[in-house]
Amino acid sequence: MTNIPQNTAKSAPAVSPDKTAAKQCLLSADRFLKESRFQDARTEIEKAKKFDPTNVYVLAFLDRINYFEAEKKKEAAAKAHPAPPPPHAASPTPHAAAPQPVKPIVPNVPKPAPAPAEVPLATAPTAPVKPKEAPEPIAPGRSEHKGVETTLEEMKRQIEMLTHSLAQEKKAREEMSTQQLQSNVLQVRTSMEKAWANGAPNEKEEEELHKLAISLSIPENVEHSLRREVKLKMYSTAVKEVISKRQLLRSSSSTLEWLRKVYQVSMEEYLEYETKFLLDLVADQYKGTLLYVTPNVKTKDELIPRLKSAGYAVVLSGTPEEALEKIEKINPNIILCHTEFSPGSLSGIKFLHLLRASAKFNFIPFLLFCESVEVSQLKSSELRQHEGFLKKPIDVDELMIAMNEKLAHFRDYVSSLS
Amino acid sequence: MSKKILLAEDDEDNRDLVSFVLQRSRLGAELIIAENGQEAVDKAFESIPNLILMDMQMPVMDGWTAIPILKGDKRTKHIPIIAFTAQAKPEDKVRTLEIGCAEHYSKPMDPEELIALIRKYLAD
Repeated sequence: MTNIPQNTAKSAPAVSPDKTAAKQCLLSADRFLKESRFQDARTEIEKAKKFDPTNVYVLAFLDRINYFEAEKKKEAAAKAHPAPPPPHAASPTPHAAAPQPVKPIVPNVPKPAPAPAEVPLATAPTAPVKPKEAPEPIAPGRSEHKGVETTLEEMKRQIEMLTHSLAQEKKAREEMSTQQLQSNVLQVRTSMEKAWANGAPNEKEEEELHKLAISLSIPENVEHSLRREVKLKMYSTAVKEVISKRQLLRSSSSTLEWLRKVYQVSMEEYLEYETKFLLDLVADQYKGTLLYVTPNVKTKDELIPRLKSAGYAVVLSGTPEEALEKIEKINPNIILCHTEFSPGSLSGIKFLHLLRASAKFNFIPFLLFCESVEVSQLKSSELRQHEGFLKKPIDVDELMIAMNEKLAHFRDYVSSLS
Repeated sequence: MSKKILLAEDDEDNRDLVSFVLQRSRLGAELIIAENGQEAVDKAFESIPNLILMDMQMPVMDGWTAIPILKGDKRTKHIPIIAFTAQAKPEDKVRTLEIGCAEHYSKPMDPEELIALIRKYLAD
């Protein structure tokens, strides 16, 4: 007879897993166990198993129940039949001569140990063996050998069970530890988001966030990356909010600049995350494809994120020659081009002339970015309505106005064709 | 004790934008909202704000009517009022100053400029 409950793997319950309910059952089982209500504890474990057959605690709990139950029984047995006094005791008690009931692991073990020496496991027989008048002499030979083998097998089985329980417990602890860390990170993130909602927090708030991270054992590098992530997320949210009201703003670019300061987002961070920031914005306000021909293609040009945030898909070309190759593929809605390029390359003006000569591209809106000295020359040149120029350094608001104007001419031209 | 700013503005988007800007200004001021001139007068008498931002074109009672009421009452006559107008005509500016406004601000707004203006009057 054994108290080991059925193997969890034997019957997969039809009930769908409910981890929360299973956890509650395990907690109840734990409470019953502490109150030595072993049967109730087992019932709760059975329930937990049905709710969540994959729960790793179930087996470990069953082992615990069996162990404590065996211990309890031993205690009870020891109380009912105390150990006999030593033979040289001066005054023997009335029970001294009575043989002690024992609970041997294997019935054939010739010299049963007293109760406290038993292996406290679930496989121990629940009913005590009948007391004998006198211990039988050790039977030599086959039966003794068989008894030792059985004991060894039993011990091996028990070791395997313990190893399994330990592995389960280790797994459970690791799982708990990961869950704890995730929960702590979430707590810090929530506090950070609250603190960063309206811009960079002040020193005191920063200090409090840092203390919270320390108290929750968040590693410093995790705290830093969380901070950065939260900052950029909150900035991005604010940008979206303000962009939706851009018609009420004097200049969306200066507003975005103000927000960048409010959230302490560096230009490097902004450029690094620009795609992330702008994808959502651009998605619902795509205005067209823009070909930007600039000799500074490898350097960070602050104009590019502004153009993207205005809703343009920006394609870059380092030279007019490269632009001529791309133009057919991308069919841009507007071209922005610097006037000067590295020696050997076409100039912006020459590029414009080449486009004018092409029947396919000669009506694409075109804006030249020129130096001050070139202004008078460009003013006197015969630029068409969809062509124009802007003096460097480029003012983004001025550029947007010029682009809208050129695009309007282009729309009129296209409409006139129909 | 935090300072109080009364915003009288009928347009919800504008109210949201001013609120958005003020929250990010870290001025720590409490924003009281009124949706028309009458509500602005009532709320100004009730809460005695430190500064009033008043849209001039509003239903029920416009800013042109509400401001003289506020300036004529001893409880509120000391409160600086910044007039918000969508009209950028020079005569509007003169007129708002004549009825007792401390400043005239033309919409659309610029967050940094608006914060600087508010900071100036809250500091006084």
